[in-house]
Amino acid sequence: MFRDTFDKAVWFLLALTMAAILLLVARGGEPGDGKRGAGLGKAVEREMAYRARVELVGKLYRPVEELRQSGNNAAALLKLDELIRSYPGEAHGHILQGEILREMGAFDEAVASYVEGVKLNGDYLDAKSPLSRRKEIQQLVDEGLKSVGARAAASPGNRSVAASLQKVNYLKSRLAGGCE
Amino acid sequence: MVRDRYFWSVVGAGLLLGALGVLLAVWGNPENSGICVSCFIENSAGALGFHDNQRMQYLRPELIGFVLGSMASAMLFGEFRSRGGSAPLPRLFSGIFLIVGCGVFIGCPIKLFLRLTAGDLTAVAGVVGLVAGVWAGLKGLARGVELGPQAKETGGYLVPMLFLLLLAFLFLRPGFVLVSTQGSASQHAPAVIALGAGVLLGAVAQRTRFCITGSVRDTFLMGFRSPAPWGLLAFAAAAMAFNGATGRFNPGLYGQPGAHLDFLWSFLGMALVGWVSVIIGGCPFRQLIKAGEGDADAGLVVVGMFIGGAIVQSWGIAATSAGVPLAGKVAVLAGFSLLFAGSLLFRNRTA
Repeated sequence: MFRDTFDKAVWFLLALTMAAILLLVARGGEPGDGKRGAGLGKAVEREMAYRARVELVGKLYRPVEELRQSGNNAAALLKLDELIRSYPGEAHGHILQGEILREMGAFDEAVASYVEGVKLNGDYLDAKSPLSRRKEIQQLVDEGLKSVGARAAASPGNRSVAASLQKVNYLKSRLAGGCE
Repeated sequence: MVRDRYFWSVVGAGLLLGALGVLLAVWGNPENSGICVSCFIENSAGALGFHDNQRMQYLRPELIGFVLGSMASAMLFGEFRSRGGSAPLPRLFSGIFLIVGCGVFIGCPIKLFLRLTAGDLTAVAGVVGLVAGVWAGLKGLARGVELGPQAKETGGYLVPMLFLLLLAFLFLRPGFVLVSTQGSASQHAPAVIALGAGVLLGAVAQRTRFCITGSVRDTFLMGFRSPAPWGLLAFAAAAMAFNGATGRFNPGLYGQPGAHLDFLWSFLGMALVGWVSVIIGGCPFRQLIKAGEGDADAGLVVVGMFIGGAIVQSWGIAATSAGVPLAGKVAVLAGFSLLFAGSLLFRNRTA
């Protein structure tokens, strides 16, 4: 590998290139280097976008929350319908819908709404997320396994109850974690 | 056989893989995913910015450990040999479809058994699929389907070098390397422990040639006269014991972490993985180990797996607890089409 001048020249050039890379990387570590700043900015940008989303969600769904607080759940559901149609990729509407339906006693429909929300965005299962609904979903699953499970056992041919139980089991799987 | 040192080394490798497979989940990796090569590849592809699922981005140290551990062991014992050049593009596509199959099942063959030994009964369909896939692959081999011979070449160093670069990324954390703060990728064992476990497993797997699909293949070929099935049994026994001891054994079909109830697609996904693995000579884990010991063909499979890791996330191929999406089903069938076409094209009809 060091047989002739050509080999030696190539080895020299290789060493020179490696040294140049190391120098560039080392210089990149100095404060004020624009590229490093831009690189680090990616994570910060993502964090900012996430925070912005949380803020936007709060603002967007404030009328729904106000209607809920005033006890007007039916109007809140109507407003949510409108928002879900306007923002079909946004999970928060489904989660709020699930909460309201649960308060109104429509358990199976509430489960279906939570499932829609969780499928769109898994953040609602993360204990650390500001949007977390983990505790509520856990309670829903515990209750669902008892009530829907009992109904499914009593009428094994009932397809709508079987579908509800499947949805409860889906939420149970998501709560259990694992790779996604 | 019990007096043979190699037999005990394979059994030891199985025990170690089973134990660390559970312990890494205890130390922070996602449930039943202490070791999951396909999940880790999807995470690492995301960390390098190849896909934008913000819940699946983390440069998994275990992967780096597998390759560098294998490289170190191969060099130490004089087994590092740069070779390659056998059907490069089919191998690249095989890597992609290995991850497609794993993505539809949710896990590689190692995770398949980790799921099963944690009581996840949905994994049974995957086990049957994997065994069927290996069997079909062997039938193809017996009829002359092979990708061609390797030659001595110098490209075998490239993938280990790439993983050395990833090791630098792991510790230097350049800004373009993404790290999830939510989702399963945010769950991980401490980096040094994960790297150490990876290096140890990489070295042991390099010495013993232990691999899940290889064990199934050897069982078909030689039965229990081969050490491989004993290694597989040791792996399952260790995983089951550690799952039981750490309270992670929850038998049942429902509510299992990272599992779905589309049994047919679990079967087909793992069958695809088993079949492809036989043709290219090993499961995703074995490909990493071979890439570490200078096999440029396995290295190309690894590159394909990274591409696969990116597209299963970007194109909505990967299954979730909700089931297998349409794109996932189509991708598995496309994988089988490729296998069938390859079986025709790469058949040595004089054999």
